[in-house]
Formats: sequence, C-alpha cells, structure tokens
Amino acid sequence: MNMRNPTTLAALATTALISLGSTAVLAEDVTIQVWVGGGAGDENSYRLGAIEIAADILEREAAVGGEDLNITIDGQFFDDWSAFKQAVTLGAEAGTAPHIVVSGHEDIAPWAQSGLIVPIEDYVDVDSWPINDIYENLLETSSFEGTLYGLPQDAESRPFFVWREYMTAIGYSDAQIDALPADIQSGAYTLANVLEDAKKIQDAGLVEAGYGFYPRASNGPDYWQFYLSFGGVMEEDGKLVFDKAAMTEFYQFFVDAVASGVTKKNHLGMDWGQWYSEVANGKAAMWHGGTWHFGRYKKEGNDDFFGTIQFGLIPGGGGNAAANTITHPLVYLLTQQDNDDETAIAAELIKIASGPRINALHAIKSAHLGITKSEESVDLYSGDRWAREATSRLLPSASAMPNNVNFGQYWEIMFGGLEASWTGSKTVAEAIADVEIELTSTLGDKIIMR
Amino acid sequence: MVNTVTELTSDRAAGAPTGRDTGPKLTRLQQIGNSKYLGLYLLVPAGIFVLMFFLIPVILTGVFGFTNMSTSTGITGGSYVVSRSSMQALEDRHDLGEIADQINQIVYTIDEAGLLAAGQSGVAANTLRELSSKFSGNNFEGRREIERAIKNLDARPANTRAIKALAKYFERSVLNTRFDSKEEFLAAIDGFGVSLTPEQQDALIDVSYTGWVFTADNFKRMISLPDTKKTLLNTLFYVFTTLILFNVGFALVLAISTHYMDSGPSGFFRSIWLLPRITPPVLYVLMWKWLAWDTGFISAILGPFGVEPKNWLLDSPANAWTFIILINGMVGASMGMLIFSSAIKAIPTSLFYASEVDGATRGQQIRHIILPQLRFPILFITSYQTLSLMTSFEYILLATEGGPGGATEVWALSTYFKALNNYAGALEYGYGAALALVLVVVGVVLSVAYLKLFDFKTLTAPPKIE
Repeated sequence: MNMRNPTTLAALATTALISLGSTAVLAEDVTIQVWVGGGAGDENSYRLGAIEIAADILEREAAVGGEDLNITIDGQFFDDWSAFKQAVTLGAEAGTAPHIVVSGHEDIAPWAQSGLIVPIEDYVDVDSWPINDIYENLLETSSFEGTLYGLPQDAESRPFFVWREYMTAIGYSDAQIDALPADIQSGAYTLANVLEDAKKIQDAGLVEAGYGFYPRASNGPDYWQFYLSFGGVMEEDGKLVFDKAAMTEFYQFFVDAVASGVTKKNHLGMDWGQWYSEVANGKAAMWHGGTWHFGRYKKEGNDDFFGTIQFGLIPGGGGNAAANTITHPLVYLLTQQDNDDETAIAAELIKIASGPRINALHAIKSAHLGITKSEESVDLYSGDRWAREATSRLLPSASAMPNNVNFGQYWEIMFGGLEASWTGSKTVAEAIADVEIELTSTLGDKIIMR
Repeated sequence: MVNTVTELTSDRAAGAPTGRDTGPKLTRLQQIGNSKYLGLYLLVPAGIFVLMFFLIPVILTGVFGFTNMSTSTGITGGSYVVSRSSMQALEDRHDLGEIADQINQIVYTIDEAGLLAAGQSGVAANTLRELSSKFSGNNFEGRREIERAIKNLDARPANTRAIKALAKYFERSVLNTRFDSKEEFLAAIDGFGVSLTPEQQDALIDVSYTGWVFTADNFKRMISLPDTKKTLLNTLFYVFTTLILFNVGFALVLAISTHYMDSGPSGFFRSIWLLPRITPPVLYVLMWKWLAWDTGFISAILGPFGVEPKNWLLDSPANAWTFIILINGMVGASMGMLIFSSAIKAIPTSLFYASEVDGATRGQQIRHIILPQLRFPILFITSYQTLSLMTSFEYILLATEGGPGGATEVWALSTYFKALNNYAGALEYGYGAALALVLVVVGVVLSVAYLKLFDFKTLTAPPKIE
C-alpha cells in the first residue's frame, strides 16, 4: 500500500479527522524497530539510546492524555556500512525493514526516489520544538526535493590536524600555531603550505618517510573536501557538476604529496587501527579526520589533545577557493510501513529524541557536534571544550554532500580516479580522461561537465 | 530415504513374477517405487536445487542485466512522481519547459470543493467555517504555509496529523505525490487542470516513473568504459596464473611427491596443505595481512637489514598480484592435491613394479604412467577451478579491495562493487547483473572449450575390452 497515494491519504485523513474531537487513538503495545548503521561501539550507544529515552517521554505524554501506551524499542547496531545498506535496501524490498533507520544523509535521495523511506514531514510539524531549533543547514541536508525526509541525528565535520611539537621544531612560534586556524580560514595558509611544511618536518627527521601528510586511509566524504578546496562544485540547481580543472588540481595535490615523499604511494587501504594509533601519538605530522576522532585519540592514549594537536578547516588550494569542511550528519529516517500509526509513533520518537538535552548525550559521548542551537546552552555540551571549539571553528564553514540520486555513482567514479592517480596506475591526465568518459557514459545528461 | 527406496525396489523385484493383478494392493509409495519414472522421481530434489540455485538465478541475472534497476528504482516496481528534478528532465530531455512550469507548482487553494470534501469526511464544522471566513479563495505556495494558516485558527484541529490531513483536501498540485498506476497519475494531472497531448503524456511518464525499465544501455556502457578492458585482462591473468601455477601445477607436485612418500609423512603433508582451506577466509587473509603490513612480519624481519618498513601487500601492482595469487593458490592447491592423490592411488601398482623392472626412472614413471592416467582428473580440476576462480573475489576483497588503484580488480569483484557496494548506498543491480551475465557466458564457453580440448567423449567412452 502506498501511503502517499491520494486515495489512501483521503482515507487516512477521514480517520484522523473523525478522531478530532477526542484524543488520537493509539495502539497499546507497539514495538518500534530501529537499525543503526555506522558502528556498534559503546560511543554510539545514544544513537539508539536517544530513541529509548524518547519512548519513555512519549509514554508519559500519552499517560497524561489518558492513554496507556507501551512502546518497546527493538534496536540493532551494524558495524559495517555496506552490510547495513544492503540489509536496509533488501529488507525494504522484502517488506521487513525496521521503522527507523540511522544512516548517512546521502542515502536519502536514492531511498526516497524508490519509496523505501517516507518523509518525516508527513507526520511532524516542522515549526514545532525541537525541529524549529535545529540548524537550518542540517535540515536542508536531511531534505530531498524540498521535503524534509528525516531529522539529523548528529553533526560533525572533518578537520585538518597538525602535531604542534613538529610545527614548533620547524620554526613556528606558539602564537603562530594558535593562529593557524584563522590563517587557514583567511586563505593565508594553503594546501601548498601543507606540503611544504610536511616536507620540512620529514626532512628534519621528526617523522618517518610518508608520515608528513597522512590522509584518511580509505574512501570517505573527506576526499570531496579537497575537490572543494580547489574550487570544485558538487551540485548546482539540482544537477551534479564535474569541474575538470578542480578535479585535476585535487588529484594532482595527492600525486604531488606522493612525489615529494610526504605521503605513501600505498597509503590507501592501510589498517585503520594502525592509522588511529599513529596519528594520535605523534607518528604523523599533518593529517585530516573527523570531529569524532577527538574521542578516539583519547582511547589511543593521547590524554592531552589540546596540548599536542591543533585543528582547523581543510586549507584552500590557493586562489579564490576557500578553506572548507564537510559535515556528514547521520539522520533518523522512517521507512515505508504498512501500519501508518506505528510510523507516526516512530516519527514522534525521532522528534523527541532530537531535543537538545537528549542529543547532547550523544554529542558529548561520541565527540560529535550538536544539532540544535539551544544545545550550546546545555551545561553538558557547553562545558565540553572540544564541542565548544569545534562547533564555533568548523560548523559555520561546513557544507554537505548533495542529496542527489546519482551522487553515489559520481562518488565512486571520483574515488576510482583518485586512487588510480595516487597509486601511479594512471597519470592524472589519464585518470581525469577516464573519469570524464565514465561519468558521461554512466550519468549522461544528469551531470554538467565543465 | 535410501533404505526405503532399496526396499521398494527389492519388493518390486520379488513381487514381479506373481503378476500385478493377483498381488496385494500397492500403497502409493510402492506404486511410485514400481514406476518406470522412478529415476526421474529420484532426481526431483536435485532438480529443485538446480532450479533454485542455478537456473532461476541465471535467468534473473539475464533479465536484470537488461534493466536499469538500482536502489533508487527499487526492485519490485515503481511509482509516478512529479518532482523538481523530473520536471527539470522534462525540460532538458523533451523540451517541454512550459508544461513543466505548469505542473511544477505547489498550490493549495481554499475553495468550495475542498471545504465540501473535508466537511463530508467529518471535519468539525466550526473549523471549516473559520477557515472559509478567513481564507476563502486564498492560494498558498506550499504545504508548510497552509499548515501554518490552519494552525493559527481558533478552532484548529488538535493534532499534527489532523492538520496535515485537512491541508491535503486543498492541495491543487501533484508535486511530490506518489501514484501507483499510470492512469491514476494522468487522471490527477488532468484533474488539476493540465491537459496534455498523448506525446506529452508519454514524455511525462518517461521522466516521472521511478521504477526500472528494460534497456541495453548496460552493455553499451560496459563497452565504452576504459576500465572494462583492464578488468578483463586482470581477470584472465588472475584465473590462469593461479590455475596453472597452483590449482593444477602445484597440486600435481604435491600429489606426486606425497605419492612417493611413506604413508605417515604423506598423510601429514597433505593435512598441512589442507589447513588454508579449512581456515575461515577472514582469519586466513588477516594472517597474510599481518605478514605483509608495514608493522608486520616481513617488515620486522627486513628492518635490521636496513629495508624501510612498508605495506608489502599494496606497495605495487606486482606485489599485490603476488600476494593475491599466493593467497588463492594456497587454498586452491589443496583440492587438486586430494583429487590427484586419490587418482594416483587408483593406478594399479603392478604398472609401477613393471616399469621399475624395466629400469624406468621416477621422471619416466611420472611422464608415462601417472600423467596419462590423470587426464580426466586434470580436466575436472581445470574446468572446475577456472569457473571457481572466475567467480571468486572474496580473498581479493579482503586482502586488497582491488587495489592499489584498481590493479587487482577482477570481473567478479567489479560486479560486487557495482551491485552491492556503494558508499552512498546507490547500488546498481542492473549494471551488476549485466556484468555477472558476461561471467556466465564466458564460463559456459570455456567449459565447452575444455571438453573439446581434453576430448571428453573419449575419456568417458566405455573400455573397449568390455
């Protein structure tokens, strides 16, 4: 049954309207299933925990209204993204999808197009608390074709990090290191400076070869930041954009890093455990990662983050291109279900779970950033130096990847080209030429080639 | 089951001379047992398995390969939706910008028809009265605007769902509404006052349908992509190098060398070579990674000799291929070893004794006795392992993920990536199926070629002496 079909809607409307005089009739015992992607570690527990707290509040609200509502939350965590996405998409085709999924916002476009998810806007008032307190850009990131499909579960961004001690060793004063984030933002410190300083640090014997600039170890949204750094645009007026000049400079940057020896040719595909442990303990001079790394570095034995590491936006590539960062919020989404009342309850739970107090629990525990403006007034949040500084330094310049049905294909092709040029299996020109051919034959008129 | 069948068969043999008419009445099972179709009945379970796990998947792969099925089209069918991007496509692809503008408007109008329909559905009269008096004839650009207007009524509905339901009665646009059938969709467009010619209707259907359609574009795309040829060459290199060096070559070496050992040591060595096969793949590959990582065993051993630690597995395409072939070969060799060993055991020992009396060397025994007798097992292992290697990608996925830079991406892995692995969840089932279909065709062609090459008919001909 398709809930957004006018006939069905009319029937629904009738049911809802007839019950106007009295309070809405809710089932007594409801089980809401929640599937959470992105890791089963303890730090992620509030992705589900927030829904459990919300269930308690909703039960109490129902009780105040004279109803006996009993909600059971049946949650499941997934460690592996691809297994999670396969489970959700194939589960939905088989009619066994959970009510709520927690996934990356980039899933909204393909899943909305296929009808796998339904807009939360069909169930909640977007003017109501706490939705009216969520940052506008995060709400946009949770929308597709102008309709709000989900609510952001967390915010984050992907900063650039440097190891303070090595910067001092190559002649930076403490004041200069403290001013680095501002210099990055103003464009005074660029990606060219990154390669230059990384080389200096490496030549001084402070880090081993290949550890001067130590990028993310596998594919991820982070790499789009370097495309943006060279003035690239991902989407314009709802259409994907391939900017050849920006893509070429972006690939060339990594090829130059390998050529100058500050980055390893075989860096991609390395073990993540090794990577975290190395960057947390000063084995690398400069690198980039996510705001949640703050928590991870502590686990890896670095108890003095602010004393050892400086962070800022991803530097621009020079010229007009600005420093930037990408926020990649996970979102609570509602899947298409036969029982519309259950979906309405699930929507209500998501709304309650997005309140600043509940969301701050997740933000602080997992070292993510808050989603609502009022979160900065919650003591737990404002008392945390990382949350405070990362929010003010990174979020204002944060953009997000577009919610476009074909973005996933563009992404894989972009990364294939980067990997091929990085590892030397193709020259930058060959990789770009192949990417162009592949984009044209795969996406046709759905992408603007520029 | 086997016992029952044996009993039934022997019953039939015993009862046959007495004649059917005079014998006791047969049960249904006995009738089946007596049937001349017994052989077919016995094949039914196997037939079901072949149907379910081979024929249906192959047929579905063939069908899916000619579609544009993906996560965004869904598998079970689509709907018809007017959206901002579909209207953009109407303008770009069909040059119908004006129609797009006409349809692409969210309009909510407080009119008599809406008020009447809402009233008939049981909306409180005072709510409708207030709505009519304050907003009659008003247009709202979007859903949020009309919902805000309803929320501000004194006699507003009590809950959000009721507000949304009430707003729906005044919607005079199809934007972002999903329709299950073409007819409903076109009727709704017509109902909102947009009249279309049949050609315009077709164009609108083309851009608004969210489900999959049949197309041969997958194959055009496959041919046009520069990486297709590289993946094909990678696959041929991977399959035949692993096959010749390990799955057949090294397996023969193991089988023959253990044949000339005493039974104790030979059993021990064969068991050792079985270990890679019985180790769970994830763990097995992890051990190779421990060996090859820059903090691993090879780097640790070479460190004192001044060799910089590095990721040996991903250092260069040559390194990656060496590891991939070793990882697969160590697993693959064990199967050939078992088959060849048992085939060698089946060679009458008198042949070996006779050759030794004639003064034959080990080399001559291998060349003139063992290898000719192993022709059939070698055919079997070659065909079986070719197909198996062609479709296997799990060890490559676990070890290099096709890297560095796609250097070890084989056809099956590429199929997996396209159909079931995308960072943004955009899985391309149709294109993946088209890639898989190529594997099916190549597999069948190679099997036929092997049968011809090894002269299968002669191998299976009954011995002339009988």
